[in-house]
Amino acid sequence: MSGESKREAARQRIAEKRAAEAAAAAAAARRRRTVVGGVVAAVVVVIALVVVVVVQTRRTSTSDDAAAPTNTSGNGYVFTVGSADAPVTMDVYEDFQCPNCKNLEDNSGDTIDQLVAAGTVKVDYHGMAFLDTDENDDYSTRALNAAAVVASEAGTDAYETFHDLLFANQPEEGGSGLTDDQLVAYAEQAGATGQTVETDIKNLVFGEWVEKAEDQASKDGVTGTPTVFVDGTALDDPTNATPADITAAVQAAQQ
Amino acid sequence: MAYGNSSSSARDCDGVSTLRPWLATAARLLLGVVLVVAGAIKVPDPAAAMRAVRAYQLVPEALVGPVAFGLPVLEIAVGLALVAGVFVRAAALASAVMLVVYIAAIVSAWARGLQIDCGCFGGGGQVAAGQTAYPGEVARDVGLLLVALALARWPASRFALGGRPGSYAEMEHSDVR
Repeated sequence: MSGESKREAARQRIAEKRAAEAAAAAAAARRRRTVVGGVVAAVVVVIALVVVVVVQTRRTSTSDDAAAPTNTSGNGYVFTVGSADAPVTMDVYEDFQCPNCKNLEDNSGDTIDQLVAAGTVKVDYHGMAFLDTDENDDYSTRALNAAAVVASEAGTDAYETFHDLLFANQPEEGGSGLTDDQLVAYAEQAGATGQTVETDIKNLVFGEWVEKAEDQASKDGVTGTPTVFVDGTALDDPTNATPADITAAVQAAQQ
Repeated sequence: MAYGNSSSSARDCDGVSTLRPWLATAARLLLGVVLVVAGAIKVPDPAAAMRAVRAYQLVPEALVGPVAFGLPVLEIAVGLALVAGVFVRAAALASAVMLVVYIAAIVSAWARGLQIDCGCFGGGGQVAAGQTAYPGEVARDVGLLLVALALARWPASRFALGGRPGSYAEMEHSDVR
């Protein structure tokens, strides 16, 4: 091997070594940048987390001075129909826009009314409103607000009548919902009359209360409508409950 | 030497290897946009977000708020990282973890017979009987999970702000010299 080629080989080794050192230094710098960047990003995310959780918690803590209907019972989100000393309590969770609830009311509403009239059952109605859409102009919320207005102005028997009227005349799901004027007309039919009824229905005076009622139902563990508890025991398949099913459940609760 | 180097990387970059960085970019954008949208949509209505979390009946009431408000922040953060192309592997792994949790939660709600909407893109909470969409929700999340796992395996992509040693951007830079 000639001296010339030896020198050439040595130069090449040196160049390779330098290139390797430079690459190692670049890699180290890159690692440093990645670590610093990662730490900064993590800190930013943690700060954003804390800020958002605090802000959102403040936004959801509802003001206690929101208008609430009168003639409620229990936790303030319940309208009780029937004799207070009835031996059996039925808790009924419904949304006025829910077709399955209409099914329940069509099948067994009369039976429930008879049991209430006989003094066997008192019904705790828990309104829910989760089927609001743009198409129905938030009908679920408007309907429950109107029902609360009726109960406030004319008592829970009027609520019951209004409730039955709304289910009997339930607008199609996906349709445009009943108008405020129609709600006012049904309220009048149920016995709630006067200027206050009309303005309170049209101004959605219990709008915030409706939201809280929805939260309350979610806290009660209700995840679908209709949901019916007979003395605390959930009724199987309330959508298709027949009058016989209702009577049987009530009798079972009495034993 | 420069010649030898570029020819060897040209061999690396043909066929599947040419396509892969672009697939990774598509995966980044898909996952990233889905996560950012899913997170952002939950911010305006915190009460609805709480109902959506509560409906699963999996977390105690005291934690419903933090989970409902915290998850969207994580989704947005991870989504932005993916869109920008920084910390891609970490972000892909984080989204895979989130998706596994979501899939488990949906399947458990399904198994327990709850009638809820997954609340994946806002909304959520109880729905009318027969209105549940569990199979579709699970299928979508499993699909996204596969994308996330593939991206974690091959994170090198085009149009990424950050690069890791050996990533495509890195390789290209060293070749351009």
